[in-house]
Amino acid sequence: MVLLFGLLFVPPEVAGLDLIGLDGGVAFAAEDAATEAAAQADVASPYQPAPQLTEKDYPTFLGFNGRIFVWIAAQLHLWFAAFVLAVPIFVFIIEAIGMKTRDKRYDDMAYEFIKVSLTAYSLTAIVGGLTLLGLLVFYPHVMTYMTSIFKESMIFYALIFFAESACLYVYYYGWHWLQGPFKKWVHLTIGLLLNAVGTLLMLLANSWLTFMMSPAGVDAGGVFNGEIWDAMHNFLWNPINLHRFVANIAYGGSIIGAYAAYKFLSARTPQEKAHYDWMGYNANFVAIAGLLPLPFAGYYLVAEIYAYSQQMGITLMGGIFAWLFIIQAVLIGTLFLSANYYLWCGLGRSEGGVRYYKYMKYLAVVIVAAFLVWFTPHTLVLSNEELKALGGPYHKYLGPLGIMPAKNTAVNIMILMTYLSFLYYRRANKIAVVTWVKAGNAAQIALFVMACANIFFLGIYHGYFTNTVYKVAASIPQVLTTLLVIVIATVIDSMIYKNAKEVAPQRWGRVPPRSQYALFLLAVSFTWLMGLMGYIRSGIRQHWHVVDVFRDNSPDAFTPSLGYATNVISVATILFMAMVIFVFWLAQISGQKSETPGFWKEPGQ
Amino acid sequence: MKIPRLLQAILVLGGVYGGFVLVFDVILEQVIPSSLLNMYMFFVVAGTYMVFTFSEESTEQIVSPIKALVEDPSKKMLRNVVFVLLPLFFGWFTYQQIKPSFEAPLELRTIHPAPPAAVKVFGKRYNLLTLENPFRKFEKEDPEKFASLVREGGDVYVKNCQYCHGDKLDGQGPYAQGLSPVPLNFQDVGTIAQLQEGYLFWRIATGGPGLPKEATPWLSAMPVWEDFLTEDEIWKVILFLYDYTGYQPRSWEHE
Amino acid sequence: MKQFLAVIGFSLLTIAAFTGYSNFGIPRIEPAPPPKQEKIDLGSMTMDQFIALGDRVLNGKGTCKLCHNDLGRAPMIKQIVPNAEKHLTDSRYKGEAKDLAEYLMESMVNPSAFVVAGFGKAGSNDTVSPMPDVSGGSIGLSEPELLAIIAYLQDSAGADVTVEIPTDAGDVAEEEEAEEREPLEDPLEIAAEFGCGTCHKIGEEEGDLAPDLRTIGATRDREFLRRSILYPNAEITEGFEEGMMPDDLGDQMFAVEVERMTDYLAGLK
Repeated sequence: MVLLFGLLFVPPEVAGLDLIGLDGGVAFAAEDAATEAAAQADVASPYQPAPQLTEKDYPTFLGFNGRIFVWIAAQLHLWFAAFVLAVPIFVFIIEAIGMKTRDKRYDDMAYEFIKVSLTAYSLTAIVGGLTLLGLLVFYPHVMTYMTSIFKESMIFYALIFFAESACLYVYYYGWHWLQGPFKKWVHLTIGLLLNAVGTLLMLLANSWLTFMMSPAGVDAGGVFNGEIWDAMHNFLWNPINLHRFVANIAYGGSIIGAYAAYKFLSARTPQEKAHYDWMGYNANFVAIAGLLPLPFAGYYLVAEIYAYSQQMGITLMGGIFAWLFIIQAVLIGTLFLSANYYLWCGLGRSEGGVRYYKYMKYLAVVIVAAFLVWFTPHTLVLSNEELKALGGPYHKYLGPLGIMPAKNTAVNIMILMTYLSFLYYRRANKIAVVTWVKAGNAAQIALFVMACANIFFLGIYHGYFTNTVYKVAASIPQVLTTLLVIVIATVIDSMIYKNAKEVAPQRWGRVPPRSQYALFLLAVSFTWLMGLMGYIRSGIRQHWHVVDVFRDNSPDAFTPSLGYATNVISVATILFMAMVIFVFWLAQISGQKSETPGFWKEPGQ
Repeated sequence: MKIPRLLQAILVLGGVYGGFVLVFDVILEQVIPSSLLNMYMFFVVAGTYMVFTFSEESTEQIVSPIKALVEDPSKKMLRNVVFVLLPLFFGWFTYQQIKPSFEAPLELRTIHPAPPAAVKVFGKRYNLLTLENPFRKFEKEDPEKFASLVREGGDVYVKNCQYCHGDKLDGQGPYAQGLSPVPLNFQDVGTIAQLQEGYLFWRIATGGPGLPKEATPWLSAMPVWEDFLTEDEIWKVILFLYDYTGYQPRSWEHE
Repeated sequence: MKQFLAVIGFSLLTIAAFTGYSNFGIPRIEPAPPPKQEKIDLGSMTMDQFIALGDRVLNGKGTCKLCHNDLGRAPMIKQIVPNAEKHLTDSRYKGEAKDLAEYLMESMVNPSAFVVAGFGKAGSNDTVSPMPDVSGGSIGLSEPELLAIIAYLQDSAGADVTVEIPTDAGDVAEEEEAEEREPLEDPLEIAAEFGCGTCHKIGEEEGDLAPDLRTIGATRDREFLRRSILYPNAEITEGFEEGMMPDDLGDQMFAVEVERMTDYLAGLK
């Protein structure tokens, strides 16, 4: 029974994308090893080697394309899971802020967030079940193999899932009950527990999918050594954990932002408008806070993939997937641009913001320029005439922008400028009262100038004038520079503006509808981008269920082309949007009451 | 006189576009590929839109002339002219885009296609993931021997490679002009400096015909050098390539 | 409602833009299909594939058809299964096989266990077979390959296939292997590669169906030897039949190998 539940909630990650063999490339060396090892496999071992399947081992069902079914179901599950894991994280933070500041607006907003995620929670389980169903129907042997290795952790997963549900329900339904000096602490503790359990769930599910990318605890033939910790603690587990954790937060923020934006646009009263504007602002803040460190988590993950297998790394960054990163650059550029645009629009909320209008164009120039560098592909698409005019496929000036050091530099500058937008926004309505304003500002300017100089120096010197080991290594001090500047500048800024006067009251709700569309753009781009990255994360396994151990021999073992993949992703995104609208609609009607005089018996009659 | 906001925006866009063309095509004499320029301009337009519309006042100034053009009765004449010219312009533009031309379709070359895990050359199977230059170790152990190996590699290069790749390794050899795709320029930071020696070994030994499918369309004239050179000669010429250009081969040491 | 539709429209447009860009804005690249598995994957083989493998080995790596052909150098392959029962009960039978499969295996690894009348080594009175042990020497078939041949023989003779596909994958070579080899240096290796010793006496090999090559250099010059390798039927040494030696060596051997072989043979005096 327990096992059954364990299976029922196998998150999509385990499978979905992962089981689907996506493929190209040649990898025969590993197969030799696999067959040899299979031959030598200890007969006494209770574990079987990975089965060698043929096309016939993949059932077909009513003409469904099994891979696309599992792909879409898993992707939907992943989006919902990311959302429901992320929301409690910042609900917890917002609730804590509310408790600290004793500002009830925070508490109300936190409650509204969790209300939205509650319905999404059951949808997560439903699409998770659908994913599992798809896997059992279309990939039974793969599931058998995975289950034989991860059975304990799957049972554990099911138990934790109950704990998660319990925490969530107590946290949500007990919200108004657990108010007051002592009870609030109890409530917060439950919130913390909820997050801990949710994160644990994600870690478990991640271990299954990273096992498929970088198998551990099994020999070359796929015979499990019996140590489940070995299989879980595989090479890419922690990099994926980190990347997903950060991305979930940014993603949750962007979805809540879209919710607030929609409520804002359809609000009828100024109070409502103000409330949802404020909510949208906070959600966007969360999204940006998650977005800024995300490129670094991504670089860490890619570096680890390279370290695990160079072939996987080159498949990832070169060849067909190279163009995927151009699409990714466009999407991330879109995220940064819309996040900035939203902040700039927000300057209009206060009279004081007008002072800073003039600086925005410079920020825009730097951000767009950095983005163009980031977007420049390594391989230029040239017409024959251009080829002739250039005398070759290399562009003397644009070519060098195509490699990583240029892109690292660009993304760091972009992050710094986005942070600067935020600083301007923070200052918009304030006038500092401390005596050392000038010195403080000078210090901040110096800090930014130095940081930019350092980032440029590292990027240019190490990127182009030393050998490749340093090229990669130089990105780390660049990242540290950026993070350090963000921390120091925040500290200085909060000191300067301690007890600062307000220029005029902050007028929440006074933003143009355009800014709300920026929030939608953020949410849609984020969703689509996650789908795209899911495709490549799974795609680099090529024609393997479990890399180099368990080959995918289904008719769908081929790697989908980018066009094919993006079409699937778009369909999935539209499905997801439809479900999210449903969730939002539920959140809306749950607060509505219809007066029906004469319908019910009057009491006492 | 203050320039109207709408005109400002148009001037900015025109200026950036002209600037790209001026800087790359005229001053630097390296044309900017139109595919790239189009995408650049798309995001410049997005950026310009952001700057000009984030505040209400500015948006108003941008929108009002357009609104006036469409709604103001006094601008009837101008409106009629614009309404005739705009469709004509788009028609002309579309025609230009789709009319048949003698230009061959755009071709993409993946400069560094992903290598296979292993490659069979010289009758042996090499694991590209672990393949190293057997002579690289002499760089530290025996610099004199290393120098002589590099010299021998140079001889191999001059006898075989320089006709296409050039005596300066810049891809400008005597035959280079006759080839398409043109030979690689090893001096470029984007070529051998990004790669491991094993990758070069694979590319040299199997030549154009050994390229994976994903790298097509790819009519590379690079010969299959395993038929003409020995294994050692290939390793030596790789030493030479790095030595001459001053680049270090990429290594994957995880630090 | 209007707001709702506007938002939906905006989101759909955004998705359409991303999809359009991914489909048309960047070059289309079709990823290569998954590679064919190089090693024969016995575990996932059906019996039909296994039988087909036997056929390939018989014609290719096994070099069986060199002798088992209609030139009468060895019993016809299609006669082997029908006659097996008779041979098993024959008084001259020295082997230990109990059934058809075992008999077939034995006849490949220990050919002298039973020699069909008239096919024995000259002078041995049909007690010693001229056939080499095909699991060793220059042919070197692996166990799965031998089993595949048995499966093929049983199947093509209409008998039930009684062998099982082995689960532990042995070393089963594909034909490509031969195509991708590099020229061999050692003449004896060349001889082993092309199975010369099956018929000729060369090096350690003691074939007796064709002229002794151990001192051939004493009587033949280089031109003759080269021609005999490339066009074996151009001139037949007295006492030997025409059409016995494969005439496609010129296609299979590298030019340098032909030269090395010629040099080597010419030097055998």
